[in-house]
This record gives sequence, C-alpha cells and structure tokens, in this order.
Amino acid sequence: MTAPGPGPSGIERLTARLRGPTGWLLLVILVPWLAAVAWAPEDSVQGVVQKILYVHPPLAFAAYLGFLLTALAGGVFRWRGDEAWDRLARSSAEVGVLFCTLVVVTGPIWARGTWGRWWSWDPRLTVTLLLWFVYLAYLLLRGFTEGSERAARFAAVYGIIGIAVIPLNYFAIELAGGRAIHPENLARGSLGAGMGLPFLLGTLASLGAFVHLVVRRVELEGLRNRLAERAGADGGRGEEFGSWDT
Amino acid sequence: MNVALAILWKDLATEWRGRDRVVAMAVFSFLVVVVLHFALPARDAEEARRLAPGLLWVAYIFAAILGLNRAFALELENEALAGLALAPADRGWIFLGKAAASFVILGAVQAVTAVVFALAFDVDLAAIAPSLAIVVALGSLGICAVGTLLGAVSVRTRYREVMLPLLMLPLLVPVLLAAVDATAGLLETGTLRWRSVQLLLVTDAVFWIVSFTSFEYVLDE
Repeated sequence: MTAPGPGPSGIERLTARLRGPTGWLLLVILVPWLAAVAWAPEDSVQGVVQKILYVHPPLAFAAYLGFLLTALAGGVFRWRGDEAWDRLARSSAEVGVLFCTLVVVTGPIWARGTWGRWWSWDPRLTVTLLLWFVYLAYLLLRGFTEGSERAARFAAVYGIIGIAVIPLNYFAIELAGGRAIHPENLARGSLGAGMGLPFLLGTLASLGAFVHLVVRRVELEGLRNRLAERAGADGGRGEEFGSWDT
Repeated sequence: MNVALAILWKDLATEWRGRDRVVAMAVFSFLVVVVLHFALPARDAEEARRLAPGLLWVAYIFAAILGLNRAFALELENEALAGLALAPADRGWIFLGKAAASFVILGAVQAVTAVVFALAFDVDLAAIAPSLAIVVALGSLGICAVGTLLGAVSVRTRYREVMLPLLMLPLLVPVLLAAVDATAGLLETGTLRWRSVQLLLVTDAVFWIVSFTSFEYVLDE
C-alpha cells in the first residue's frame, strides 16, 4: 500500500469543502420542505398516506447512491491503494445502510395503505431488500476482519460483486414470477399538480443529508486514524503512516 | 494452468485419503432432506413435484456452505494458506484449482443427495437425470466461484463459519432462482427452459470472471 503524500489527500480536501454547504443546505431546506409536504394536495385515491412519497423515493435515491459510491470508492482503492478512498467506501456503506433501512421501513407503511398489505415480492422491493442484506454483510465483514488494510481489501472485493449482482437479481426475480406492482418511474410527469415541489425538496434534502453524513463520517474516520497513529496503538499502521512526519 | 491442476489434484487426493468433507456434506444433506420431508410433507405426487425443485436446492446449498467452509479451513493448518499465497503464479490459477476441487466434491454429494431425495419425496428424477445434471452443474459452477472467493475471505475473519453464508447467500439469489426455475421446468415438461439456463450461464460467467480477477486481493502473504 502506498502511504498518502504529505498534506491532506484529495478526499480530505473534498470533504472539508463539502461539509459547510451541505450542512447549510439541510438547515435551509428543512422548513420549506416540511411546509411544502403539509400544503401539498391530498391524493384523491390514496389519502394522506400518499404523502410518504416525499420521503420514501428520495431516501431510496440516496441509498442507491451510497451503494454505488461504496463500489466505486472500493474500486479506486483497489486500483490506487490510497487508504482515503477506503474511508469513503466504508462511510458511504454505513450511511447507505441507514438510508436503505429507512426505505425498507417506510415502503411497507405506504404499501399497507395503498396495496393493502405490508410486503409484496415485487422485483424492485426484493432487489432493494437483497442489496440491504449485501451491505449489512459488507459492514459485518469489515467488523469481523482484523487489520484495517486486510478489511479494506476484502470489503473492496465484496462491494464490487455486490453491485455486479443487482441486474442479475432483477432478471432472476422476474423469472421467478415476482409480479411488478411498484410504480415505474416518477419522472414521467405522473406527479399531480402541487406535488412536484415537495418531491424536489425532499430529494434535495435526502441527498444533502446523505452527502453531509458521509462527509462527517469520512472526517471522523480520518481523525480516528490520526489518533491511532499518534498513540501508535495500531501496530503496523502507526509505523506506516507516521513515517512522513516532518 | 499447471498450478490450478496441481491444487485440484492436491485437494482431491487429500479428500480421497480422508474422505471427511464428502462424508460430512453427504450426511448433512441427507439430514436436511429428512427434515424438509417432515417440515413440508407432500400429500400427493402433484404436490411433491411442485415442492421438489426448491427443497432440492435448499439441501444442495446447505451442503455447499458446509463444504466451502472446509475448503480453506484445511489450508489454515501449518500456515498452508500463506504457502499458497506465495506460490509463484497468478493467483487466479490458485482460485481455479480450489474452485474446481470444490466443484468435484460438491458434485459427488449432489449426486447421492438426488438419489435420497428422489426416494424420500417419491419424485422421478431418474427420467430427467441427464438434463438435471446439466442444471445442477451450471448452478454449482456459480456457487463454487462465489464460495471459493468468499471462503478465502471468511476464513480470515472472526466467526468464519458464520461469515461465509452471510456473505454468500445474498449474492447467490440469481443462481438459486434460476436453478430452481430450470429444475421445475424439467419436472413439468422434461425439457430445459432456455430462459433460466441463459440466466445461469450469464451469472456463472460474471461470477467466474469477477472471482478469478479478484482472488489476488483476498490472499494474504
């Protein structure tokens, strides 16, 4: 593994730059978003439960973004060997699992209200559920592997297979006769009048929250590394990263 | 390539002398068949035929988890795993040798399990044996690819026996669903369903390519 050069790496500079704006975005957007959700018209068929639209798909976008980022950052770590990329992969997996958990919780509430049952084995639901399992396993793998360098290597490999399996899962579930009842695409003008703005604000809030949490998590991991390095508690790693101290 | 053959030969010879892995896997999968028979009793031939594909693959996947866990656990003795990592060859070939050995051993267990299963559930597997063997082989190829890659990973973690199924099962869903669908098609019509065979072939290709190229990163010196 190559040691990071002197000074903060690209990821550290990026997280430092993103922390403020995403935090402010969240603060500024929260009240208008809540107000827009409250004022949005009630759906004529589904009633008030439909308002979960302004929470559920935005959370799902962020969760998918998290898993994609985990695989990409893991891939770059594997290629470049820079440990900062692994920190990004790990952080976005953790935050992605958090968002995916919220998706898997909010989905059934909506489903109960409109489809009449908590869960259906629709392809998209099933693929999301399987992704959730894959990334829970990813986090368990990191937790149960000793040595941070080894954990990073294992996790990079697993994160990449986890993404590769998504399309295969999709075909497999359709093959097994999972009936698609999940609405296809919201971008095709299927939103009623007055629903577009709260949906847009919800998406911005969710993505903003995702980026902000990942940024904070990456920074925390960086601080932890620096502490371990200073204390020399982490054996080999302390030596490895302490060498460029001038 | 010679490295892959040498490892395949070494694993099979070790197994032939001890026969512990094959026996443990076979006894375990018989037990699974018996438990499934009582958990989901089939009242008539029609119901047995409907349940059989899924149950057969449940028995196969459990046996595979048991076997794949052992595949690398036995390399821990005398630090043989570090020896493998130091072999002067592309590590993809090491993967190929280990996966091929697991494939052969799993195949033997699957063959005897199928006989026991046919007797226990009273389904006629003999009539479709050649096509069933193709489906089982395609399914096992995917299982052994992912299982060998992740077996090398999980053996280096705490709770290694627990870690392998947690890592492996969510990835094996496409293989399992396609294999179950193909087996169901065979039992219903006696012919191979091209759609599910296609999915098995694509999944196998993806898993073998990813595992072959990633194996380098999961072995430690």
